[in-house]
Amino acid sequence: MKQHKGLFEELPNRAVSRRQVLKGGGAALAGLLAAGALSGCGGSAGAAGEQQLRFWHLLSGGDGIKMQAMIDAVNASQAGFHVNPTVLAWGAPYYTKLAMASAGGRPPEVAIMHATRVVGYAPGGLLDPWDLDLLAHHGVTKEDFAPRIWENGIVDGKSFSIALDSHPFIMMYNTKVARQAGALAPNGQLAAITGPDRFKELAMEMAKVTGKHGLSYGYLGDGAQMWRMFYTLYKQHGATMDLVQGSKAKVDRDVAVDVLEFITSLLDDKITARSGDGGTAIAEFAGQGSGMFFSGVWELPTMKTAGVPLDAMPIPTLFGTPAAYADSHAFVLPHQLNLDETKRADVYKFVAAILKGSLSWAQAGHIPAFKPVVRSAAYKALRPQAHYAGAADIINYDPRAWFTGSGSDFQSYFAENIQNVFLGRTKAADGWDAFIKRVDTLLSKPNPV
Amino acid sequence: MATQTLATPRAGRAPARQTPSNRPGKRIKPSRVIATVIVAVLAVTWLVPFAWATITALKSETEAAATPITIVPPSGFTFDAFAKVLKEGNIPAWTWNSLFTSALITAITLVISALAAYALSRIDFRGKKLLMVGIIASLIVPPPVLIIPLFYQMVAFHMVDTYWGIILPQVIAPAMVFVLKKFFDQIPHELEDAARVDGAGRVRIFWQVVLPLSRPILAAVAIFVFIGAWNNFLWPFIVTNDSSMLTLPVGLQTIKSAYGIQYAQNMASALLAALPLIVVFLFFQRQIIKGISTTGLAGT
Amino acid sequence: MSTSITKSATGHAADNTHAVRRKRDALHGWGFMAPFLAFFLLFLIWPLIHGVIMSFTGKSLTGANSAFLGFANYLEALGDADMWHSMGNTLYFTVISTVPLVIVALAMAALANMGLPAQWLWRLSFFAPFLLASTVVSMFFTWMFNPQLGLINDVLGKVGIPPVDWLNNPDVAMWSIVIATLWWTVGFNFLLYVAAMANIPVQHYEAAALDGAGGWRQFFSITLPQLTPTTVMIVILQVLASLKIFDQVYQMTGGGPGGATRTVVQYIFESGFTGYRLGYSSAISYIFFALIVVVSVAQFFVTRTKPTRKRSA
Repeated sequence: MKQHKGLFEELPNRAVSRRQVLKGGGAALAGLLAAGALSGCGGSAGAAGEQQLRFWHLLSGGDGIKMQAMIDAVNASQAGFHVNPTVLAWGAPYYTKLAMASAGGRPPEVAIMHATRVVGYAPGGLLDPWDLDLLAHHGVTKEDFAPRIWENGIVDGKSFSIALDSHPFIMMYNTKVARQAGALAPNGQLAAITGPDRFKELAMEMAKVTGKHGLSYGYLGDGAQMWRMFYTLYKQHGATMDLVQGSKAKVDRDVAVDVLEFITSLLDDKITARSGDGGTAIAEFAGQGSGMFFSGVWELPTMKTAGVPLDAMPIPTLFGTPAAYADSHAFVLPHQLNLDETKRADVYKFVAAILKGSLSWAQAGHIPAFKPVVRSAAYKALRPQAHYAGAADIINYDPRAWFTGSGSDFQSYFAENIQNVFLGRTKAADGWDAFIKRVDTLLSKPNPV
Repeated sequence: MATQTLATPRAGRAPARQTPSNRPGKRIKPSRVIATVIVAVLAVTWLVPFAWATITALKSETEAAATPITIVPPSGFTFDAFAKVLKEGNIPAWTWNSLFTSALITAITLVISALAAYALSRIDFRGKKLLMVGIIASLIVPPPVLIIPLFYQMVAFHMVDTYWGIILPQVIAPAMVFVLKKFFDQIPHELEDAARVDGAGRVRIFWQVVLPLSRPILAAVAIFVFIGAWNNFLWPFIVTNDSSMLTLPVGLQTIKSAYGIQYAQNMASALLAALPLIVVFLFFQRQIIKGISTTGLAGT
Repeated sequence: MSTSITKSATGHAADNTHAVRRKRDALHGWGFMAPFLAFFLLFLIWPLIHGVIMSFTGKSLTGANSAFLGFANYLEALGDADMWHSMGNTLYFTVISTVPLVIVALAMAALANMGLPAQWLWRLSFFAPFLLASTVVSMFFTWMFNPQLGLINDVLGKVGIPPVDWLNNPDVAMWSIVIATLWWTVGFNFLLYVAAMANIPVQHYEAAALDGAGGWRQFFSITLPQLTPTTVMIVILQVLASLKIFDQVYQMTGGGPGGATRTVVQYIFESGFTGYRLGYSSAISYIFFALIVVVSVAQFFVTRTKPTRKRSA
């Protein structure tokens, strides 16, 4: 104590005296304690008799606004329950917190996950399976979903996730540029592209039209973007990828290396910028500096707002087998320590209502998973959404493993090893082998879930 | 009032803190002019983040994200961002959570630390040496090492996403026990002896003799603990997930991602979160600065 | 009777009252200690032990797979490039943050000690940031560091310096974190220095002034040596605080770009909660703990010799 005497000691004591502080503090504290005891296990209280449902999702930006509107609509349509959304940052922060909340026993009543992440959650008991009879009671059945989408929600024979959508990696194109490049078919859509050489040729023609690039594709620092492109083309070769815990990754190395070399050959600063990030690619296509744009469907609203003369389609089948990388936003039931049956019942009503109202979700670019919506005339009138809706039938989710999926470490490992391949600094085979070595390490460890 | 309490009186009473250079009547040397300029530049630089946050928060979202950036936006300043954040966000709820948990942490820490410090200072009992060594040794444990097992423990106790989960692990402050013990050591034994002759027992002596004499140090410890709890990020971040349970620092972290690029609202939220302690500081600078410099060395 | 026994026990304290007193003291002693001890054991000692136990298992966040693994987690961690990378980042941050946090604090305190005008204003501005939560600091600086819209690049642009990508350039990001940290916490070290300077007896300066020593000479021959014990303390506290860094980095860069700023504490958090591997994460925690102990012990030996030598000065 003594050594700090001096500087502030002799200042005039004009402030409130310590005694007053302590007294005031004591009184305030007593008040806090009393109030705290009352609100101890509260939450946000709502109107009397209305169940409060907590709903977590990771949709921000335009998606977030659309989702909020859908929630508002459901809240307004009935008086039984009220859904309070919590939005967390996409990727690791969201999944970390969702797992911690589930492990902690007081998770939200319902949450959205990427369908590819469910495999890493469900077996450990963090999620409860959906009661399909109850869903059917609310008018949602297996037959309402594309088989690939429905099956992806099943883990160990039980449905742990109900997909809201599929959001594939697609190709958008500038119709004006395509017309000038002479690439449009009589129906006004892009003529079929039959192979890799034809694709490059077309891209070069478009580059001549725009004076910049033919194709916009950004990947720098973004493992997800690299993976989406790679996996789409890999699956177009009809190749498979199986990741089984305890054994080495089963992959087709030759195909993988071919695909990586093909992608690198596109990144030649003529067809596509050699080193561009996602933002640069978006800006380029939005500014009509290119004819084609490889991206997730969710960029559609941005491009519409930018006024690009636009159409879209699944990624052209360059290697024989139609295939598109995709993931789904899917509803899950985090496991509750003390399950409130009425809330759980309300969750079913809520999810059914959102699925049936998912036409407005389609405006954000996503393909609704609930097929009655896609079959509706209103959806068929949506342009360009209806032109890529077929992607839902050829989608390929990430290979199943506890560490794969959107925003997972798997994609970061892909980025760490493949970015230098794309940049031309590492040979495709070397980058691929290093990536597979990393994956094999993960597969050799005991599965934590 | 800020001026009065923080200013160092030039004609201070204690000669010990006057260095030759600040004695009155000295002629102004160029070195002092240079020093003044340096300090002025430093001080202004240090205020820039506050000022820039304030300016941004008072712009419309469009102006906040406009280039080239302006100090005074063409459309004038507006309180829209503050209004929006207060109306739509969770800031009031988070402020309450922070206040409630910090107050309770401070109160519990003060009580249990003072009791322990008194025992260590005044009572001879078997095992005291061992306790001292154990508590001193625990000072070396960095809190981040405990997050994994503590979280697991909170899961077992069903305390994740509860106030108790935030509070209980934060009430152990070995450093504060020793700060208090050092102070108790200095209280003359005669005072206690006199009370004992009058028939007072331990508890009464502690309550009626020791504690009243220790108000300054108790206030210092309370201030230090409260500020620490109010600003703590790591533990509340680990133990709370539900947005209704977050404290201010943790809540802000989630806002940032949810609102994305709404810079004016981001800055308004940050300023609202900063406000309570800054205001308290302006009123109680003396106590806070003294509290931190007396407990700070032991407590970090 | 027993209550009247004073500390200066004289001959009349018979053997049995002595025993009674000891018994009563033990009761009181443990009684007063009990509340603190309860919390201490429950929320510090037990987790500390439990963490060690967990570090030998494959315990998962999801509850699955908690088999005993022996030292497998430790061996894996020691061969984990990401662990070493985060350890390296932590040490790097500790070095490049401690130096400015001590030197700038000393310079501020020296200036404050000169009795210049408007002291209250700069004391307030130097110290006020210390009262902010890390999140607020991170939000302020993330905004100022914004490459396109940020104040800093704007100002740099006005003097002809090209824009810097403060938080996304792996070579720069850690320095940006240091800048934010300096702004945030230098006020604390400043305060400790100011308090210590006020304690230097004025006679020293008077004697030096008589000898004709100027301001600089006085600072280097009197102030600085007198402050040595304080400086040592501040360095120790700062090193230990810097080693534990998590908040600002997690909030401003999330450990990126590409892991360039990921610190050990973040790696503990991520391997435990993002990767679900509580056991593995515990093992890393204790490797980190060992580092802290080594640093603390090293500093203990350094400080034990230094201040005693200087005290006679």
